[in-house]
Amino acid sequence: MKTQRRTARLLAVSTRAATMTASLAACSGGPSTSTSNTGSEQVTLTYGVWSQEETMQKVADAFEKANPDIKINLQVNPWTEFWTKLQVGAQGGTAPDAFWMLADHFQIYADGGQLLPLDDAIKDANIDMSVYPEALVNLFNYSGKQFGLPKDFDTVGLWYNKAMFDKAGIAYPTTDWTWDDVKSASAKLTDQTAGVYGIAAPLNRQEGFYNTIPQAGGEVITKDGKSGYSDPKTQAGLQYWVDFIKDGNSPTLQQMADTEAVAMFENEQVAMYYGGSFYAKRFYDNEALRAKVDVTELPAGAKKATVINGIQNVGYAQSAHPNELKKFLIYLGSEEAAKIQAATGAVIPAYTGTQKAWVDSMPDFNLQSFMDSTAFSVPYPVSKNTAVWNEYEMTELTKAWQLEESVADAANALSTQMDKALTEEKR
Amino acid sequence: MGNTQPRHHQIIIHAVLGIGAVIMVAPFIWQILTTFKTVTESRAVPPTILPAVWSIAAYERFFTSVPLWSLLGMSLGVLVVRVGGQLVLCSLAAYGFARFRFPGRGLLFGVFLVMLMAPSQLFLISQFDLMKSLHLLDTLPAIAIPGMFSAFGTFLMRQAFIAIPKEFEEAARLDGANSWQLFWRILLPMTGPTLAALGVLTSLYSWNDLLWPLIVASNKHMTLPVGLSLLQGQYGTDYPTLMAGSLIASLPLIIVFVILQRQFFAGIASSGLKG
Amino acid sequence: MAKGGVAAERRRPHSHLREATVGYAFILPALVGIVALYLFPLIKTAYLSFTKTGVFGDSTFIGGANYANLVTDPTFGTALRSSAIYTVIVLLAIPISIVIAALIAQVRHGATLYRIAYFLPVVTLPVAVGMVWRFIYNGDFGLLNALLSLIGIDGKAWVADPTVAIFAVSAVGIWTSLGTAIIILGAGLQGIPQDLYEAASLDGAGPLRQFRSITLPLLTPSIFFVSVLSVIGSLQMFDLIYVMIGRNNPALSQSQTIVYLFYQKAFVEGNRGYGAAIAIALLLIIMALTAIQFRLQKRWVFYG
Repeated sequence: MKTQRRTARLLAVSTRAATMTASLAACSGGPSTSTSNTGSEQVTLTYGVWSQEETMQKVADAFEKANPDIKINLQVNPWTEFWTKLQVGAQGGTAPDAFWMLADHFQIYADGGQLLPLDDAIKDANIDMSVYPEALVNLFNYSGKQFGLPKDFDTVGLWYNKAMFDKAGIAYPTTDWTWDDVKSASAKLTDQTAGVYGIAAPLNRQEGFYNTIPQAGGEVITKDGKSGYSDPKTQAGLQYWVDFIKDGNSPTLQQMADTEAVAMFENEQVAMYYGGSFYAKRFYDNEALRAKVDVTELPAGAKKATVINGIQNVGYAQSAHPNELKKFLIYLGSEEAAKIQAATGAVIPAYTGTQKAWVDSMPDFNLQSFMDSTAFSVPYPVSKNTAVWNEYEMTELTKAWQLEESVADAANALSTQMDKALTEEKR
Repeated sequence: MGNTQPRHHQIIIHAVLGIGAVIMVAPFIWQILTTFKTVTESRAVPPTILPAVWSIAAYERFFTSVPLWSLLGMSLGVLVVRVGGQLVLCSLAAYGFARFRFPGRGLLFGVFLVMLMAPSQLFLISQFDLMKSLHLLDTLPAIAIPGMFSAFGTFLMRQAFIAIPKEFEEAARLDGANSWQLFWRILLPMTGPTLAALGVLTSLYSWNDLLWPLIVASNKHMTLPVGLSLLQGQYGTDYPTLMAGSLIASLPLIIVFVILQRQFFAGIASSGLKG
Repeated sequence: MAKGGVAAERRRPHSHLREATVGYAFILPALVGIVALYLFPLIKTAYLSFTKTGVFGDSTFIGGANYANLVTDPTFGTALRSSAIYTVIVLLAIPISIVIAALIAQVRHGATLYRIAYFLPVVTLPVAVGMVWRFIYNGDFGLLNALLSLIGIDGKAWVADPTVAIFAVSAVGIWTSLGTAIIILGAGLQGIPQDLYEAASLDGAGPLRQFRSITLPLLTPSIFFVSVLSVIGSLQMFDLIYVMIGRNNPALSQSQTIVYLFYQKAFVEGNRGYGAAIAIALLLIIMALTAIQFRLQKRWVFYG
């Protein structure tokens, strides 16, 4: 890893930023927002992220090179505390100028007036929004205004361990697979005495039931903003997972709380894993694993579906330098920034046409399947205050995953609570 | 209890204490052994006791992903400012509460005590807003300042001042010493052990604090626990690296403690003598 | 605590004003900080607890509705239960510490080594403590289950099983709090005059009898001090749940403590008003329990 050099660099950048903030504080507001290159005034923008430091530093460097009057100060914070820090900073007027945003957190920030509308900047820069997947663009549109430009996206695929399939004498999964194929394969692959399971069925939204619910024809949230969990089709999407645990073909929920399901897949305790495209790099970097695993499209239930989600770059409404900030955000959404990210293999860039570099960056894996999956992708389900009912999902569905309650009972209870939360957040 | 029991008593006592000590220390031994294992071996079932091959890869991963010296420097800087500030502020206030009569004293002291009982997370947002209006965000003082004010410290020091017989002051007052001189030259030195205890406890809190430094400061002002938390996000299931990181992050305080253990114990003990 | 002290009363009357001024001067620096950084936030929290306040924007006054919701909220009930379990179990550290401190007081060699061993967890980062124990408690490849299997016990996924997770966390709570208690109680033991034991020996009292009738009574002030701090600290516990259980754990809803619930409501779900009500309720509980302990101390604490 070159992280050390990155950190050293980061520290240097930060120190520079500190001395500059002092001088900037003196000239309040007005003139410093000019973007002309003639002035000696330099503007520093902070950029808050939770991972991919190396890649994002490269993007920031490229931007600084083209805009010598703007410095980017990359701030990396641990994922678990990223949102706490962002929330405290935003209400206190000191959030980073630019930062990463996810769909499930987005609406509360947009509704609270914390985000910079980008419509005029998009218009001025002549950005054709159709270069991004439409589902992603819509996720970051709130009351008619566009607040984010998609940075990357992820779909979910069926990762499988070829060596374990060979050993069990089963043909590898294909794009034609259905739920029934997964069920029969998982039963054949499971060898409980050896501590080996056919599949992992964690209680996981993005890589789990948010895919199988639409596959079964159900919905998490209906179009008129109600919970979809009382729908038998939605419940079928949950039952799919619970059955693997019930039949002993998946580790128990407790085992997967102790050791993440993805780690069990890496550890070759699990033969199939519904995993995001963002794991490609991690599996690829694991040399013991690289030759043994591959990926294909998610198997179909009543139909094919995968949830699509992604990080977007947004700006802080109270930034002292909105013009420079818009410039930076437009750059982050540009083809050039997308290409830099694609080459490192960290994520699938959202900019259409740049993804081939990502697919080619790891030739051992069938990464094209993630791209093909966008054809049947559904947006990640969110509402204004997603965190509240996300918590209910965890509490109620845990009971079904632990086989303490039937899926119908747990989902119906969840539906009632979620409807209450959805009514509450509209007030 | 005198040292007059027969030899076999000593053996039994050592056996009981020894078993307890093994339980206390075993997690550390396990941690150290794990740091030298490969990721795969660390997840082996059943676990191996000694590493099959001693590897220092976990330490290499830790040192390449965490700017240890900068974290260490920051943690240390915060500790010094916070402990120093707290000792001064708490002993001043404690002396005021212990030796002077003024209207509202009981009420004010009660306010201090209530603050002792409120969970620290409750203060986060207001403290953040205050640091912002003081233009201190993202500075070392911002991390250190809230911890300099301590209801517990004031309470502890007040007990120490109360325990000092009044005769010392009377004599000095007759010699013409004023309140400040009394405090600084005579009484404060007499509270030495309690002062040390407070220093020790504050050092622990300061060194261990995670949420506040994270919220109030950014990368360049990252402290050790924040760095460790970042590591956990990065190496979620790589136990050898996590164990190496947590060992190294805890080590400075452990070393200081082993060297200064006599003062550590004397200090902490004195905090409990007067209830 | 309102008695002024002998020195003050002996002085001339007109020095009262002067005395008050000097007294205020000494407490002023600390007072400013306590008021700005602690008292003001507390008052603000108390106010917020009567409002509906989101993450951003305005708050509306809703009277006692948050508290009414609190009483009927099953998650608050569960959190209270978890905090109570943790607090009671960690109190067990006190009797254990008394025994260990008494034994350490009797060894001829190695007392320092024992003290260091028992104190090590206190000087270890809580994040590190959480990580190490999470690893040891792992249901599949953890050290604990490997040891248990040696004696034929089939272990559990200790921090992922909702029925045992809070107990597993509490055990770590004991492990981390023994050190301080042993040192404080050990100092209390040293303060007991040696001649009391000698006199008891002459009267024919055995070691157990001496422990019951001399050591324990004279140790009660230290025990009281340790238990008051232990209860306050345990009810404020957050770190261990945060690091050892974490989110997306089936055991979380059954083992989250009151402070964790506050964090979840105020910072994750962005419900500041409800979070404030949880915090104020906790503060009142801690104050009540501390007051009860002070009231009860007259019955059992022996101030010689």
